[in-house]
Amino acid sequence: MPDDIPVHARERLKGLRSSAHSTGVFTSDFSVNEFLLVRKAGFEPIGLCVGTCVYHVGMQFGAWSRNQELEVLSKAMYHARELAMARMRAEATAMGADGIVGVKLTIKRLEWDEHLLEFIAIGTGVVHGEGREGFRAHDGGPFTSDLSGQDFWSLLHSGYRPVEMVMGSCVYHVAHRGILAGLATAGRNVELENFTSAMYEAREIAIERMQAEASAAKAEGVVGVDIHEGSHCVEIARDRVLRDWHGGGAPGAGDRTGEDRRSDHGT
Amino acid sequence: MSGSAEPGLTSPEEHERRIADIQNALRNGRVPSTTRARLEAARDGRAPWIATLSPAELLLARSHGLKPIAAVSATCWLHYGYSWTEGHAQGWETALDRLRTEAKAAGANAVLDVKMRTVPLFIGSSMDFSLTGTAVRVEGLAPSTDPIVSTVPALEFVRLLEADVVTTGIAIGARYDWLKDWRGRASQTWAGNVESVALSLLGEDPPGRPCRSPAQRLPNGQRVLAHVNFGQLFEIEADTSQPKRFLGRQIVIATTVDTRRGTPMRHDIKMVMDMHAGATPLTGRERHHQSYDSQAEDDEGI
Repeated sequence: MPDDIPVHARERLKGLRSSAHSTGVFTSDFSVNEFLLVRKAGFEPIGLCVGTCVYHVGMQFGAWSRNQELEVLSKAMYHARELAMARMRAEATAMGADGIVGVKLTIKRLEWDEHLLEFIAIGTGVVHGEGREGFRAHDGGPFTSDLSGQDFWSLLHSGYRPVEMVMGSCVYHVAHRGILAGLATAGRNVELENFTSAMYEAREIAIERMQAEASAAKAEGVVGVDIHEGSHCVEIARDRVLRDWHGGGAPGAGDRTGEDRRSDHGT
Repeated sequence: MSGSAEPGLTSPEEHERRIADIQNALRNGRVPSTTRARLEAARDGRAPWIATLSPAELLLARSHGLKPIAAVSATCWLHYGYSWTEGHAQGWETALDRLRTEAKAAGANAVLDVKMRTVPLFIGSSMDFSLTGTAVRVEGLAPSTDPIVSTVPALEFVRLLEADVVTTGIAIGARYDWLKDWRGRASQTWAGNVESVALSLLGEDPPGRPCRSPAQRLPNGQRVLAHVNFGQLFEIEADTSQPKRFLGRQIVIATTVDTRRGTPMRHDIKMVMDMHAGATPLTGRERHHQSYDSQAEDDEGI
């Protein structure tokens, strides 16, 4: 993966501080408090890591008269996020980081084409100050975490380490055209079971996906989960994964993610 | 990343089966079977636990013997063609029952950090009433048949616990009232600066009326902390032969707590240095409940 890093980015990474290059600078987007607490947790920032992906979302066809997951959109979210995160992680690997703290995953819509989305993942690569190993993710690469430096310290303090930022999302279409036509409006309020069950299914799909990612990362648990729904499409996201390191060897770090969703693909 | 770039997609048959199962389960007061399987796996430790708590809250919760099990959620999407006001009470009560059922399936003693959510999707005269939270087990307690539901953040839950106060549930009060303005008391065009007493009274809880205030229905020893207080006034135009009518409607949603009266709080209060950037749990945070943020959406009506 490091081969994918553009030449000028590699030049930038070379200028960073490392054991081989002690006069280099470190870069980070930490606030002062974050910086202090990351150091208090025993880590040193080395450099900002960035991953970008501009993604073209394919056409979604569907029967708009019924509830359904919009699979083209769901898949696009996953693929584009994966590319951006993997590129950020490759930069962290190239600079020798044990993990990435404060990952921000943002999704922007490019205004000239409604099918284009830009995914940007950015965070600060850190190493353990005493070279202690065991903080890395189970594949040996850097951990990823969207926790701030403050939360990172709190997490380590409570005996967990971040492993990976995990996410589950589901872009879902709620069919509502004509649904109110047959409703009697007198006598009592009625539940719209169609909508309720759509919410349940979309949420369950998203939570299941997130949990599957957490299991694959060999996490003990997920902290800081935010379950939220956007308009038209229901989507659930944001979590971080942690591992208990009381029993295991070394502490590492883990994380969650957030994102925003667009969608006017519904009817 | 160990996650796969491909979400596990559901086949159309699986989708149909799942929707039917969800509807059937909700009608019968049960947890849908895929959700039940997930919650039971979390209960038995076969799947990672999931918590909406922040790391600081997790630390505090664990130190007080609270173990997160799973994220639980519930929804009731209600059409309030009959009564908007009563629909709000009914919608939240239904969602609460469903949330407790999920918490029971997870083997929990309590649901913490319960947030009221509403999707910003306004379809006809309907609204969704959604609750999300974290089911937790209290170390040393058997799973509860009636888990408590706490609508405050976990940090506040623990803070209350230390003061010997237990949050026990949610109380919802909803009422509406009409003012038929026969004598034109609300028409004060030439009156100068003066209170519109008739409308002030409509906007308040009228004394002596059987108001469905949440606190009145509580068992002894329970009190409420009011979290949401949402009221609106409308003028409803009628034809010229009729006087103007005014509608006042009010929703009060509160956290019920169990505490002994007059027990002083024995908790030490210490000065701390807050290293958080921006809004913090100590100095304020984003709104916990997202429903009732905007007054713009509603139809007029009782």
